[in-house]
Amino acid sequence: MEREVRLQKIGRRKTLRQRAKENRKWQKASTIVLPVILGVILVGLWQGQVLHGWFHTDTFTLPLLDKIGGIMFDIKDKILINTLSTVSVAFIGLLVGSLLGYLVAVLAAMFPKIGMGGLSVIGAFASIPVVALAPVLNNWTKDVSSQASIRSMVSKIIVVTLICAADMGLNAYRGLTEIKPFSEDLMAIYAAPKRTVLWKLRLPNSLPYVFTALKVSVPASIMTAIVSEYFAEYITGVGRQIRENIVLAQYSTAWAYIATACLIGVISYVILMALQSILLRRYH
Amino acid sequence: MKKIKAITGTKWFSSFLWIVLLIIAWEVGAMVVAATKRTPENILPHLYQIIAAAFSGKKVTGDMTAVQAVLSSAGLTLIRALLGFIIGAVIGFLFALLMKMSGMVEKILFPYLMLIQLIPVLGIAPIILAITGDINISRVIIAAILSFYPVAANTLAGFKSVEQEKYDLMFIYAAKRRSLYTKVLIPASLPYLFTGFKIAAPMAVTASILVDTLQGDGGLGCLLSQSLKHAMSIHVFWLIVFFSAFLGIVISKVIGLIEVGIAPWRRRV
Amino acid sequence: MGVEREIEIKTRNMGVTFKDNEDNDVQALTNVNLEIYKGEFIALLGPSGCGKTTLLRCVADLQKPTEGDVHIQGMTPKEVRLQQKFGFVFQQPVLFDWRTVKKNVELPMEIMGYSKGERSDRADEMLEMVGLKDFANHYPKQLSGGMQQRANIARAFGLDPDILLMDEPFSALDEFTKEKLHEDLLRIWRATNKTILFVTHNIQEGVFLSDRICVLSPHPGRLSAIVDVDLDRPRALEVKESAHFNELVAKVRNSFEGGSV
Repeated sequence: MEREVRLQKIGRRKTLRQRAKENRKWQKASTIVLPVILGVILVGLWQGQVLHGWFHTDTFTLPLLDKIGGIMFDIKDKILINTLSTVSVAFIGLLVGSLLGYLVAVLAAMFPKIGMGGLSVIGAFASIPVVALAPVLNNWTKDVSSQASIRSMVSKIIVVTLICAADMGLNAYRGLTEIKPFSEDLMAIYAAPKRTVLWKLRLPNSLPYVFTALKVSVPASIMTAIVSEYFAEYITGVGRQIRENIVLAQYSTAWAYIATACLIGVISYVILMALQSILLRRYH
Repeated sequence: MKKIKAITGTKWFSSFLWIVLLIIAWEVGAMVVAATKRTPENILPHLYQIIAAAFSGKKVTGDMTAVQAVLSSAGLTLIRALLGFIIGAVIGFLFALLMKMSGMVEKILFPYLMLIQLIPVLGIAPIILAITGDINISRVIIAAILSFYPVAANTLAGFKSVEQEKYDLMFIYAAKRRSLYTKVLIPASLPYLFTGFKIAAPMAVTASILVDTLQGDGGLGCLLSQSLKHAMSIHVFWLIVFFSAFLGIVISKVIGLIEVGIAPWRRRV
Repeated sequence: MGVEREIEIKTRNMGVTFKDNEDNDVQALTNVNLEIYKGEFIALLGPSGCGKTTLLRCVADLQKPTEGDVHIQGMTPKEVRLQQKFGFVFQQPVLFDWRTVKKNVELPMEIMGYSKGERSDRADEMLEMVGLKDFANHYPKQLSGGMQQRANIARAFGLDPDILLMDEPFSALDEFTKEKLHEDLLRIWRATNKTILFVTHNIQEGVFLSDRICVLSPHPGRLSAIVDVDLDRPRALEVKESAHFNELVAKVRNSFEGGSV
């Protein structure tokens, strides 16, 4: 009797395992299917104006998706110009800032006594609100060029640079110093000079941390670029267009630029991820 | 000698050194600017001028001195930021909990969690103002959206940091699901939660100040725009810049202190 | 001994097969027949990949055998687990960073619903037993590896479990700490009379501690010999220098199928 029960249990276990096996395929598919279903529902709610009911708003302030798409197509040339402006500010600032932050981190790693304090000061910069930095830099860059477009751009780039430098500095410092135990000792046994330790050990070790920093600073650079556009002298950029169009109560156009901003965010992140998977392949 | 070395060797001392260096650089810059520019106070006023402006009894707005004006607007801004931060943090934590409890929920929501982080939320601040029509509600909403992601993502990472052995141990002791959460998962996620707070809190403040600038209805950002337009002494502008920088720094320090209070095991041994 | 001994754990034709990444069947354990008496100290000994940890996990209900079955006190592992009769010590001290040493020891008792006073008294008793009384209010990160593992053992004994399962608990410790803990473990075991299943890959450790050694061999994992350790108890460290101890070590070594390991 007991034996029989046991056998039954074993039998059921096997079918459970089979189910799990089938599940594996379903599991893989579901990571794509389930979010897509939610996406479709959201689009449906938006197009069906259910969202409008929830937020007590109308299709004037929250236009339907097809209308936003249509406008994006209609003004695609203007969108392109503004996108270029925002992206170049974000990208140059990201590049310069990350290099600067990395450099500070390298110095801090080589001269830890002075460097540590420098890093905590940089860390403090990271918590300074962008809105406070942007107008200051507008004032500082007044004499950079006689052209408003150029000096605005420089000012925006510097803001992005500062934000990205802080982020990269802190992360890169960790990457340069959090080294597997003994590898530093190994270098010491071979009497490797500081420079060699830096090149052969610290720099390669910091690469994953660089990407950790970039994962934060890529979206942050776009956000910062957009916010500093608000305060800039020269009217250009996706962020500024959102604001200008809302002031003019052209909500559909504003939404077109919002969609553009989201696209910039997503595409830049996808590029970053692709870069990471190529560059960090050796690390796994 | 030893004592001097002991003091100069600390991290505090080198931070101090850097701050002194920054002040010197600022003052040298201010001197150069004062000698060469027509309106030096717009570009780089001396630090003592800013401090003097802070303590002068002169009224900058209708009936308030500079410090009074800054503090009262800061109060407005901070309360909204705090409210938004709390709402965002609570929702973020609950989302992480839900995603941990159900793999299905995680699958559905995780891509959207990533997406929210990539949307330049501050960029959509004006449209949220347009939809809600109320500056205070917008401030809270924007601060909440910005706080939500760092808290949710970090808490989820905290839940996932729990090793298999700990689950095995709880399994062997036939612990209920509830105990697994209250005794293992939630305490394990606390340090991560605070990392999220440290990122989210300054963002909530930034968001709140930014939303202020959209509509002239009080708040630090509003005062900032007014001072920029020379509605009052430009030194008020500098006061706000320094004050908001100070706020950002103080807030992350305060969260660090709260963390040490709540999680004593995190203290350096 | 003459007295009929009570069987605590019994496996019948137990085997575990699982699928690897390429979907091939891997036999981790096959055809294990084992009877363990109440109060016995059993060592599960073998090289890596022989399935000794799998066997332990099957007893603990952490894994289900795919063939045959396990009975403990006439019940399934799951029933025994739900009655909270197991103590488990992992290779790494699985302590909770946010709890003091004492609170870590109290954890299983909290789960079982002991009263506060009872928990505290019992934890104090256990910490005294493992020599950590003075560190009760320290956090795990403040302790050395050996002390952490002591805390772990105190926690496992705290619930007064019938069966203690130990998965290479001392393998990460240095030799001096290990010897000290060996003596402590034997002392506690004598005082509490638990059934202990102790996984190890160290022959000396197995011989010194256990009543019987179950020798497991890999590919596929199977029980290849059972060696009785007839050394007198209580055992002191000096026993390791005796000729008989070394004979037993040699006997175990020779019992691995396929000769040397």
